[in-house]
Amino acid sequence: MFFEKYNKKTDGTIRFYDLHSTKTKIMCVVIFVLCLGIMVFSLFPSIWVFLASFKDIKEFRRNTTILPESFNIQTYIKTWNDLKFIQYYINSFISVTGCAICAVVFNGLLAYGLGVLKPRGYKIIYGLVMWSLLIPTTTSVVALFVNINRVGLNKSFIPIWLSLGANAFYVILFKQFFEGIPKEFIEAAKLDGASSLRIFRSVILPLSQSIVMVVIIFAVNAAWSDFLLPYLVLGGSGKETVMVRLFQFNTSNATDVEVLRGVAFSIIPPIILFAIFQKQITLSVSAGGIKG
Amino acid sequence: MDETREKKMTIKRTSKYKSDIAGWLIILPSIILFAFFVWEPLIESIRLSLYSAKGMQTIEFVGFDNYAKIFNHPDFAAALRNTFIYIVWSLVIGFFVPIFLGVLLTETVHLKGFFRFGIYFPNIMPGIATVMMWGYFFRPGPTGVLNILLEKIGIEPQVWLTNPSWTIPLIILTMTWKGAGSTALIYMANISGINPELYEAATIDGASILKRVRHITMPSIFSLGKTLLILQVIAVFQILYEPLIMTNGGPNNASISIMQLVYNYAFRDFNYPMAAALSVMICLVLVVLSGTYFKITKEKEY
Repeated sequence: MFFEKYNKKTDGTIRFYDLHSTKTKIMCVVIFVLCLGIMVFSLFPSIWVFLASFKDIKEFRRNTTILPESFNIQTYIKTWNDLKFIQYYINSFISVTGCAICAVVFNGLLAYGLGVLKPRGYKIIYGLVMWSLLIPTTTSVVALFVNINRVGLNKSFIPIWLSLGANAFYVILFKQFFEGIPKEFIEAAKLDGASSLRIFRSVILPLSQSIVMVVIIFAVNAAWSDFLLPYLVLGGSGKETVMVRLFQFNTSNATDVEVLRGVAFSIIPPIILFAIFQKQITLSVSAGGIKG
Repeated sequence: MDETREKKMTIKRTSKYKSDIAGWLIILPSIILFAFFVWEPLIESIRLSLYSAKGMQTIEFVGFDNYAKIFNHPDFAAALRNTFIYIVWSLVIGFFVPIFLGVLLTETVHLKGFFRFGIYFPNIMPGIATVMMWGYFFRPGPTGVLNILLEKIGIEPQVWLTNPSWTIPLIILTMTWKGAGSTALIYMANISGINPELYEAATIDGASILKRVRHITMPSIFSLGKTLLILQVIAVFQILYEPLIMTNGGPNNASISIMQLVYNYAFRDFNYPMAAALSVMICLVLVVLSGTYFKITKEKEY
């Protein structure tokens, strides 16, 4: 039963012909058990967050158990209301939506220019983009913050949205995909008299739904998780996102359980996103080597 | 005849110019964004680092004074030393774990989809939520989650992050927990791409399973490993959230990172020029590392 499936295995070291020896059979079982153990290690912490946040504060401080005494959803709702999390969720959704749109439009257009249109001198821009791939933006966040203040865009969502529009990773992803689109489609549209922008909208984008999807998923997750720039730009404006609020717990007098519930609230949307799109996400990670 | 040919050429040339201009117009907005968010801040960092300032207003050119101040700052030596400790631990823990996971997961045939899901799962957790969550696990005293678990098998509660010699390894452990899955998936894809005939030939020659892993799998993922190693060092150089939230650089500067020092200069002391000067130094190191990265990936292509 357990070993039958090995007949179809074509990658890795162990093959069906190795299974004649008992030693190898034991090894396969050990590997399987090890993998189950790894799953516990990678999934348990997040499960614990949900379990422990059902405890009330007294129970949390006193009881040295993993499971709570009771699962009372009311405590969750109370914290949600007390901390006005609905507002932070709304702020985060505004921020995430704008970021996803900017990520597709601006990186897509740049990739279209560099991969398909190739106007004279495009190689200079391509080189600069490739270099920015490896000079992480966190190192220049101080200067960026100063600049944002100088142009008067602080306490606004605009710089947060636009910051996702300048992402070298997404540009490379788009560019590789666009270059794979058959030239005939583009030439045909050109003969019909379509402008370059129109070709992008009605030929390139419809043919690139899969990569657009991948970029949207990654941009949504990145925008939801991003904290430093939103914290600096949106802090004190009433537009704080969930992550900014989470960081502010560090210096607030919220109780341990309330903070823990805050953590739970902040990881629910990414978990839902991942549950729905896990195939696309894991596939594109293996294929493109994107680091999350 | 010549005239018409010339005319045709001009038409062709003007249409080429036209499409060039259209092309540039289309990418112009994105270029402006890249300039504003990525390129200009780099230049601005250099400029800012050479001036003295009051708040965000630059006052006068001071040359390399800000750089000198950083070298004399008591936290700098600690941050620099910690960065190397971070890198060493990230090589010990962070580098080998994904390779191990990748090799292990390739050898399973059951629940493969679930294993892929589970191993990547920590990666989608927001960075801040991850470090806050592990903060509960590493809490000293009987209510820390790890201490609860240890108690069950009869081990004394530990102090975890408040022990200076454990702080950095534990922070690296947290980062590895979050990041190893995605790297492991990349290794898995690479391992699956190895020519199966190699394994068959080795088996006929009588190579055991471990020998096959050692002599076929490992050499095959070596070049990918080199690349990922550099990316990892680049990432470790910018550790910020983890020490900022888990330990605030403590105990007694035992875990303060260079990026955290930048953060402190800028957003605690509001000394933007010093923060910019330190950013520039980090950037220089990263440019060297990135250059090495490009060189290595180029070699791979041939």
